[in-house]
Amino acid sequence: MIVIVDYGMGNLRSILNKLQRMSEDVIVSSDINAIEQANKLVLPGVGSFETGMANLQERCLLSVLKWKVLEENTPILGICLGMQLLTLSSEEGDVEGLGWIDGETKQFNLGEHHSSLRVPHMGWNSIDIHRESPILHGVHSDSEFYFVHSYHVCCRADSSVIATTNYGYEFASVIQKERIYGTQFHPEKSHGNGSSILKNFIERA
Amino acid sequence: MIKHDNYQICLRCVSDTSIPGIRFDANGVCNFCEAHDRMEQQFPLNVQGPSKLDQLVQEIKDRGRNKEYDCVVGVSGGRDSTYTLYTAVQNGLRPLAVHFDNGWNSEIAVSNIKAATSKLNIDLHTVVADWDEFRDLQKSFLLASVPDAEIPTDYVIISVLYQAAAEVGTRYILSGHSFRTEGIAPKGWTYMDGRYLKSVHHRFGNRRLTSFPILSLSGLLYYTLVKRIRYISLLAYTHYTHKEAQKVLEKELGWVYYGGHHHENVYTHFFQSYLCPHKFHVDKRKIEYSALVRSRQMTREFALQELHENPHYPYDKEIVNYAITKLGLTKEEFNSIMSSSIKTFHDYPSYNPVIQASRIPIKVACTLHMLPPLVYEKYLG
Amino acid sequence: MLKARVIPSLLIKSGKLVKTTQFKDAIYIGDPVNAARIFNQKQVPELILLDINATKDNHPIFIDIVSRVSDECFMPLTSGGGIKTIEDIRQLLNSGAEKVSINTQAVENPSLIAEASSTFGSQSIVVSIDVKKTRQGRYEVYTHDGTKKTGIDPVALAIKMEEMGAGEILLNSIDRDGTRQGYDIELVKKVSDSVGIPLIASGGAGSIEDFSTVIHKGHASAATAGSLFVFHGKRLAVLISFPTKEELESSLSKV
Repeated sequence: MIVIVDYGMGNLRSILNKLQRMSEDVIVSSDINAIEQANKLVLPGVGSFETGMANLQERCLLSVLKWKVLEENTPILGICLGMQLLTLSSEEGDVEGLGWIDGETKQFNLGEHHSSLRVPHMGWNSIDIHRESPILHGVHSDSEFYFVHSYHVCCRADSSVIATTNYGYEFASVIQKERIYGTQFHPEKSHGNGSSILKNFIERA
Repeated sequence: MIKHDNYQICLRCVSDTSIPGIRFDANGVCNFCEAHDRMEQQFPLNVQGPSKLDQLVQEIKDRGRNKEYDCVVGVSGGRDSTYTLYTAVQNGLRPLAVHFDNGWNSEIAVSNIKAATSKLNIDLHTVVADWDEFRDLQKSFLLASVPDAEIPTDYVIISVLYQAAAEVGTRYILSGHSFRTEGIAPKGWTYMDGRYLKSVHHRFGNRRLTSFPILSLSGLLYYTLVKRIRYISLLAYTHYTHKEAQKVLEKELGWVYYGGHHHENVYTHFFQSYLCPHKFHVDKRKIEYSALVRSRQMTREFALQELHENPHYPYDKEIVNYAITKLGLTKEEFNSIMSSSIKTFHDYPSYNPVIQASRIPIKVACTLHMLPPLVYEKYLG
Repeated sequence: MLKARVIPSLLIKSGKLVKTTQFKDAIYIGDPVNAARIFNQKQVPELILLDINATKDNHPIFIDIVSRVSDECFMPLTSGGGIKTIEDIRQLLNSGAEKVSINTQAVENPSLIAEASSTFGSQSIVVSIDVKKTRQGRYEVYTHDGTKKTGIDPVALAIKMEEMGAGEILLNSIDRDGTRQGYDIELVKKVSDSVGIPLIASGGAGSIEDFSTVIHKGHASAATAGSLFVFHGKRLAVLISFPTKEELESSLSKV
């Protein structure tokens, strides 16, 4: 069973709709028991880091998620804010993240050289794949995905960075550590390329 | 003609006793084959002198002088209608392409229509049904539990074409139907007339239908006898084959195939691939393949093998789910539709008694090509 | 490289898909869900879905249509029309929209923008600004589906909205709407140059070349069109179309 974690953030309907087209056993839930039963987890998210962590805390989901991911090695896919929450902390707010990926979430710092570039980074951009990953099976460099974010993840270990994207500078757009995956873009809103990511997560992660 | 109660299949085509109204002669050949042969006599292809097509084209051109359009062609984005448009233009005609949007267009259909009308430089006219109204009409046919649930679209297309022809002042509607590739659909599977449509809707529908025309008997008489509009199957005048047509369309117009007969329309896909076989045990491929066998575009062996190996047109689960949602049906409502007992057009008011009583005038009209000859074969054959 | 976006717009009036000219004379286009499905199959980068008489007629948010449209979209959906409260926004986002577009309330209750931005994130909040030229040749913001004059300058409003936390501006020229005469480049450039957030230009697209013009000369981040993608030919046949990726890339690369 795939559980899309409902912590009050993110476009749950879109992810559920798209995953249900690929698998019959997908639910949205904030219920601890349901999350305990999951074979795979999806952590969506749109909004602020601080609110995201606060909501997870409020719904008492931190322990069960930690146990599932770190003890049971349940594959988890963090999408957009969901990916950022996997890190240690964010410049947005003064709150710790889940800390499962060794890195921080930082604001886009485009400086003078890129003054024509606007924030949020919003629209279709391509990825440059640096390492293999099960969720990128059949996906090529230069494939385009939909991004919409003002912050991005900086990993301390290069090995966690599977793919990067250029917006003023290269930033991590796909990350992975063991069975923890993150995409800064929205695969549920990225047409065929996005569907491949989701399918790969279901079948190969 | 000898009628059999047990299973029998025609020895010439692949029509069998699952098809309502089928009869076999002493040689085991069915009445649909005989009808096909009669149609061949009406539309001979290998004649001395100017072909019937040339004569028809000249007639259309002559009548159409000083008019903006000399004919109308119904287009759906499908192979038959696109090739009809192409043939018309190749022969120097100046058609107005007319499309009825019933809310179920596929992306391939609209893309094909755009490509064809752009490349052939033909004006396009669309009639867009109010979706809430059309859904109400389609739903009422599903609730009526008749295998004719496709005919709302078919009948409204005919109505739209007559109306469009009258509006632009032409006597010629060129339709994309070809008896050599599509056969003659049995009355029991696709009965249609204006009274039938309205009576089913009256019984099961809720909305007033105002955004599209539904041709009445008096309307048909007016268009046929007063406006002298003829509904012509242009492809019947040509050596039309699927293979050749597809090659030409792909090369000349960038036309794209959508897989499956008439599956450029999503509802048709849903109906023919899912509802027909699963609820009505109707396999419309038998009609199509029988026609192709008769016109030697498919061998009988191949047709039998196809029918045997694949129980019906393959269906796409996503399209079926989409159709159910789009029709506004709950799971329970849909299951109830699937399991309700099957009815026929005989169970609802229609013009059928009038048609049966008008055998001679209809025969005359069809012989004179005032009505398509297929009409006689289908309703009275 | 971030691509400039070309986005189809679908307008809903009383639950029906329509197209307007100068915000008037709505022509029926068909079923919005099927239109969205076709656009999805054409792989459009984004879709905008607006309820154009929600504010004027004061009717509830069109959640049902948004849900059914979003189910067909493997691309982001922006929806708006009649948004008044945080709860309205939440409902729309929960129905499957990635972004919501706020028009009248941005003028009448600007604190809603700030609250929405901090609750849902600025990237989810689009402020839609409808503009008409006055007789004196100045630009003026209109609200209530283009029916109420405000006397406000669109540049000033755009700057204020960015300060309030809007993530994107959707700038509509009422004068150019449905006319296919090209975007109002002067208007777009004025507003776009005054803010640091992305701006979508709307109103007047008549050909694929217009996108390149408004992006390169008007400094828009994106361009949207309605008529161009739903009408075909001189008889204005209703037929959904969208340029291929190659056609767009080729056109947008010409400065």
